[in-house]
Amino acid sequence: MKVQALIKPNTYFDSVSLMSLSTKANQIEGVEQAIIAMGTEMNKEVMKNVGLLTPEIEEAKTSDLIIVVKAETDELCEEAFPKIEELFKKKNTSKGKSEVKYSTISSAAQSVPESNLAIIAVNGAYAAREARKALENDLHVMMFSDNVSVEDEIALKTLAHEKGLLMMGPDCGTAIIGNTALCFANAVRKGNIGIVAASGTGSQEVSVRIHEFGGGITQLIGTGGRDLKEAVGGIMMLDGIQALEEDEATKVIVLVSKPPAPSVEEKVLAKIKTCKKPVVVWFIGGDEEKITAAGGHFAKMSKEAALKAVVLAGADESKLNKRALNIPLIEEVRTKLTPEQKYIRGLFSGGTLCDEAMHAAMEKFDNVYSNIARDPEYRLKDRYTSQEHTFIDFGDDEYTQGKPHPMIDPSTRLDRFMQEAKDPSVGVIVMDFVIGYGAHEDPVGAFLPAMIEAKQLAEAEGRHLEIIGYVLGTELDPQGLEDQVNKLLAAGVTHASSSQNAGLLAREFVVKGE
Amino acid sequence: MKVTISGDVDFIRRINNSNFSGVVHSTFNRTFNIQCSGDGELFTIACRMVDNAPNTLIIDSDDLSSWGIEVNDRVFVKNNTLYIENKLAILVEKARIWASAIPAYPCNIDTLSRNLKTIKEYIDAHGKEGGIKKKPTVQNSFEAELARMLELRTSLLWSELLKNHKSQALKHAVSLVGLGPGLTPSGDDFLVGLFTAINMIDSPFYDWRPFCEAVTKKARHLTNDISYTTLEKAAMGKVRESIINLVNSLIADNEEDLILSLNKVFNIGSSSGTDIALGLVCGLEANIIAGGKV
Repeated sequence: MKVQALIKPNTYFDSVSLMSLSTKANQIEGVEQAIIAMGTEMNKEVMKNVGLLTPEIEEAKTSDLIIVVKAETDELCEEAFPKIEELFKKKNTSKGKSEVKYSTISSAAQSVPESNLAIIAVNGAYAAREARKALENDLHVMMFSDNVSVEDEIALKTLAHEKGLLMMGPDCGTAIIGNTALCFANAVRKGNIGIVAASGTGSQEVSVRIHEFGGGITQLIGTGGRDLKEAVGGIMMLDGIQALEEDEATKVIVLVSKPPAPSVEEKVLAKIKTCKKPVVVWFIGGDEEKITAAGGHFAKMSKEAALKAVVLAGADESKLNKRALNIPLIEEVRTKLTPEQKYIRGLFSGGTLCDEAMHAAMEKFDNVYSNIARDPEYRLKDRYTSQEHTFIDFGDDEYTQGKPHPMIDPSTRLDRFMQEAKDPSVGVIVMDFVIGYGAHEDPVGAFLPAMIEAKQLAEAEGRHLEIIGYVLGTELDPQGLEDQVNKLLAAGVTHASSSQNAGLLAREFVVKGE
Repeated sequence: MKVTISGDVDFIRRINNSNFSGVVHSTFNRTFNIQCSGDGELFTIACRMVDNAPNTLIIDSDDLSSWGIEVNDRVFVKNNTLYIENKLAILVEKARIWASAIPAYPCNIDTLSRNLKTIKEYIDAHGKEGGIKKKPTVQNSFEAELARMLELRTSLLWSELLKNHKSQALKHAVSLVGLGPGLTPSGDDFLVGLFTAINMIDSPFYDWRPFCEAVTKKARHLTNDISYTTLEKAAMGKVRESIINLVNSLIADNEEDLILSLNKVFNIGSSSGTDIALGLVCGLEANIIAGGKV
């Protein structure tokens, strides 16, 4: 291993930028380790202790910024520095962008009278106050903030309902309004299908599948994860259905959520019953009989929901490529796995994608554990240790405290990936890679070296490690779907064409070992 | 022309006395620092989202990056107005005067003890990892070694504090200065929190203020100018408003305010807020354990 350093004299960046630059520098191809830190004596001591101290670093002053790169060869080190410089340049350029900023929602609303929606993404302690101001200014609200009390949520949603406004959230990360993607969403075609969803990645998945089937979206209305709980009563989902029913452009409505609380489910089903437009319902693990009895179109999985929606919206089903499971591939992988390789490890950045894959596994196995399992008996005892078939939602609060969501920062999931790859009882690792607005600029690229290393490691130990990767996105997304998929294929990863297929493939690959 | 919303009493006094001049030392989106040409001390101009702090003026602006302020720009005072070249003029006339004042240590420590337990749990659940609070998994050998050194040195400092061994405590405190990759290294942030607790009037460790001064003297060339200034001011009992609010909440009986105050401290830097909070917890726990014994 080679170590090279670059010193930037008298250079100051705020800590948040330094951490972000450091994370990105560590993801540069060929870089084993990159450190960006101030040149203090103590930091030099840390570097000395781990064999990273170079003569240049020894000369650095406390006001200098040190950039250290460790890589296999000197050439790789040298190649990394211009890429790191590029990261610094990007940081500086973004700083120079001119945009109008308003210090209060009221002043923004007054200055831009045509505005009709506010996105609230402040600390949860202040979010309710700001959302109320927005509603009082007759603005629809999308509240990205979480840690808002249920009482505040009910009060805000009640106020919005009375004023005929949407109150999306708290903790609403995905919406597409008037063909504009907000926060985490994908670039999808404009069409005639509307979505109301209590699940961010679930709604992203359905919108992307609709796009792939040739359909398009009118509006994607997020409700926030708690909307269908007993206390909140589904206020936003009911208002969302109503809004889409009244929207002329919307011909079909899709609902996406975990199963609602029984009393809320009753209200939603009653609403479906009176709705004049067809409603496709994907409540993960939901009750088909009840939904059908209410006149809804039941979907068990995400792709099925999208397919039903596009067909109801007028597509000719016989002409659609439904992307059936690759049966010969399933047979082939089963023969490669040893009898000891019995387990699936699902490492997800999207909660609903995790839930969907987990439910697919639960249909065939009774030893499926997760940090988001509804049954406490099957909840992971220790979040750092997997049990038999394990599915982890890395976007859950316990993994994101004090750090960005895994759709932005892959580091926590990356560490866990290597841990699982070394486990000889693991047959399949299944992962999602979410692209689109707000997501990491190259999620597959960030995992590429680790996936190659894991495959080589398993091979050296005489076992085959099957990795399934699913890229949630469209060809219109800024990261480029094709580029991400090609990277997976180049690393020998099995590419699943949908979240549904990813879950089913993972399950079927290990069935033989059970 | 920009109006100052509020400002540190000493900074405003220097501007009003027209004896302030210097150059821009460093620039960020929400703040820039000025190095005074007389004594080299750093002063800060911050936008409205930033809280009051020693040597700081909060001006009526949301973002300072659009002013085109650059390092080495000339700064001077004319007619009670602070000028940065001809790019920005800051009027201090109607500014609300702010002075850092850490509250006194309470006579009855029941509330403090209870609140300390609450914030320790909250830090454990919501504090930012990567500094004094360890990450469950590290990205590389540097992070692992840094985490090890921070843990070892803070626990050694804690142990010497409890034994009332000032010289040993000084050694371990100095070994924390400059330790950490951020603009204000985690070790420095931890000491800022600790110094805050020591500077509470009537606290058992109040007599340890010369210790803070001694650490600062040795810290001059161990950390960068920006972090040093914060540390030096903290040693004198001058810390930013959000930290003071947290201390006030810790001695008051209102859990909601406590968590709000803690979250505001968490918003400082990347892991800085968490590191400061943990330093404060360390100092307050030492105070409670020491009682009247020190």
